[in-house]
Amino acid sequence: MLETRNLSKSFGPIHVTRDVSIRLERGERRVILGPNGAGKTTLFNLLAGVLQADSGQVLLAGKDITALPVARRARRGISRSYQKNTLFDGLSVRENLGLAAAVQAGQARRLFHDSLSHPKVRETVEEVAHLARLEQVLDARVNEVSYGIRRQLEVGVALATRPQVLLMDEPTSGVGPEMAAGFHDLLSGLPRDLTLLIIEHDMDLAFEVADKITVLNYGEVVFEGLPEAARGSDLLKEIYLGSWENA
Amino acid sequence: MFRHTTFRYLVLAILGAGALFQAFSAGYFGLEVLIEILILAILVLALDMVAGFGGMVSLCHGALMGLGAYAYAMLSSIVGLPPLAALVGAMAIVGALAWIIGAICARSHGIYFIMATLAFGQMAYSYIFQTPIFGGDDGMGGITRPDLSAIGIDLNDSRSFALFCLAGLVLAYLAAVAVLRSGLGRSLCGIHHSEERMRALGLTVWRVKADIFGLSGLITGFAGALAAMHVMYISPGLLDWTVSGEALVVVILGGLGTLVGPLVGAVAFVILKHELSAVTPYWHLVVGVVLIVVVLSRANGIFGWLEARIGARRIFPTHAAVKKVPNDA
Repeated sequence: MLETRNLSKSFGPIHVTRDVSIRLERGERRVILGPNGAGKTTLFNLLAGVLQADSGQVLLAGKDITALPVARRARRGISRSYQKNTLFDGLSVRENLGLAAAVQAGQARRLFHDSLSHPKVRETVEEVAHLARLEQVLDARVNEVSYGIRRQLEVGVALATRPQVLLMDEPTSGVGPEMAAGFHDLLSGLPRDLTLLIIEHDMDLAFEVADKITVLNYGEVVFEGLPEAARGSDLLKEIYLGSWENA
Repeated sequence: MFRHTTFRYLVLAILGAGALFQAFSAGYFGLEVLIEILILAILVLALDMVAGFGGMVSLCHGALMGLGAYAYAMLSSIVGLPPLAALVGAMAIVGALAWIIGAICARSHGIYFIMATLAFGQMAYSYIFQTPIFGGDDGMGGITRPDLSAIGIDLNDSRSFALFCLAGLVLAYLAAVAVLRSGLGRSLCGIHHSEERMRALGLTVWRVKADIFGLSGLITGFAGALAAMHVMYISPGLLDWTVSGEALVVVILGGLGTLVGPLVGAVAFVILKHELSAVTPYWHLVVGVVLIVVVLSRANGIFGWLEARIGARRIFPTHAAVKKVPNDA
C-alpha cells in the first residue's frame, strides 16, 4: 500500500533521513520507534509531502507520488494526525470533523450551501465520531473539551478524510495511562483495511497494536521485524529500549 | 465561522431603523452623508470577508472599488449598456480581477500579502491615471444612474437613491453571510485557523482564497458602481491606496471578522469625519487617536467591545448553548 525506496533528506550537513526503504501492506499496523532526533517526524513529513526528498521515492498503491504536493497526496489517501493538536479551536467537535469530511466529499468549495448539512458529510461525521469515540461531545467546542478528547479528535479529523493510509504522530502524546489504554481500543476498532503508520513512545501500546516494528536511529532503518523480535533485539535495547526497561 | 446572535440581530435592527429614519427624514446633506455611509459599508463588508474571516489583509480594495466605478462608467457611457447591465458587468469585471489577484497573492502571507495587494492597487491606479480613454487626472463625468421609472422610482432623487443603496447593502450583507456559512466559508475559516492543516486534509488552499477574494471583489465592484452613480463623476483618486487604508481603519474600528462591526465602523467613521471636519481641519488626528485607543484596548473594535460587555449578558444568549462536556469519551 505504502512504500518508500531509498528515501533521503538532509538539512545542510545533517542527514536526517538516510536511504529509508519500508513497505507497508494494506491494512498493516506499523509502529515506528526511535530515540529523539532519529528522524521519525521528518519521515512523516516526507511521506505527507510537507518536505521534498533529496532522493528516493514514495509510492502509494504502486504509484509514484514523490512529486505530489501535500493536498494532492491527501486526496490520494494519505492522512495524518499530529503530535501537537492542530484543531480548529473556536469550532465544535462536529464542525472540526465536518471540515475534513467536506474536503473528502467535494463540498469544501461549495457556494451558498452549508457543507455540514450535506448527507455524505453528515454520514462521515457520525461514522468517525463513533470510531473516535466522540459521540458524546459532538456539539461541544474544542477549547472546552479535555486534552484526551482533543487527542481523539486529532485522530478523528484525520479519519474524516477517509484515508487509505493514516500517519499518526504520537497519538497518545501527553495523555495519562488510562487514556492511553483507551487509545489502544480506539486503534483496534479502526477498519482493518486501513493502513496505519504510527510513531509512538508508549512501548506497551506500540507492542500491542503493531503488526511490525521499524526502528530508526540517526535517520536510518536499524531494525525491522515483528514485535516479539523487537523485544529481544540487543541493538534495540542499546539504542532505545534500555532507557525504557530501566525506567 | 460566522454566527448571528441575538445581540447582532439587535445591532442590525438598530442600524437598519436608523438608516430608514435618516432616509425618510433627512434633508439633502443628511441624505448625502447617509449614501456615503452605505457605500462605505458595502466596501468594508467586502473587506471584512477577506481580512476578518480569511486573514487576508488587503490594501487593494480601494483600487478594486475604483475599478468598479470606472468599469460602470465605461460600460454605461462608452459601450452604451443600460445602467443596470453596466452595474452587473462592472461587478463581474472586478470580481474576475479580484479572483486573479487573490490567486496570485494566495501563496504569500502577512506583510508580504499586504505588500502584494498594495502593488496591485498601485498598478491599477497608475494604469487608470495614465490611460487617456479614462480621462487621466480629469476623470470621467456624465455618469448616469439606472432608470427605474417603469416601477415609479426616480433614482436621481437623493432619497430614492439612498434607499436604493440601502437595499444594495442589505443584499450585499445577505450574500456575505450566505458565502461565509457555505462550504467555501467554512473552508476559509479552517484556513484562517491553520492553513497547513487544511492542506493536509486535501484542500487546495489557494483556490479557496482566490474564490473568496473574487466574491469579495464582486461586492467591492458593486460599491464602486454605486460610488460612480452617486457622484456622477469619477477620478483616479478613487483608486488611491489611502482609500484601501481608510477602509481597513473602518473595519478595525468597527470590529474585524464580525460583518456587523464594519457596518458600525462605517457609521462611526463617516459621522466622526463630518462632525469633526466642521470643527477642525485636523480631524484625521482625532480619528487616529480613536483608532489607537480601540487597538490598545484589545477589544475587537467598537462592536467587539459592545458585544463583549453587553452581548455577553444573559438577556442576549449568544450561540447555541454548549452541552456539559464529560472529561472522557
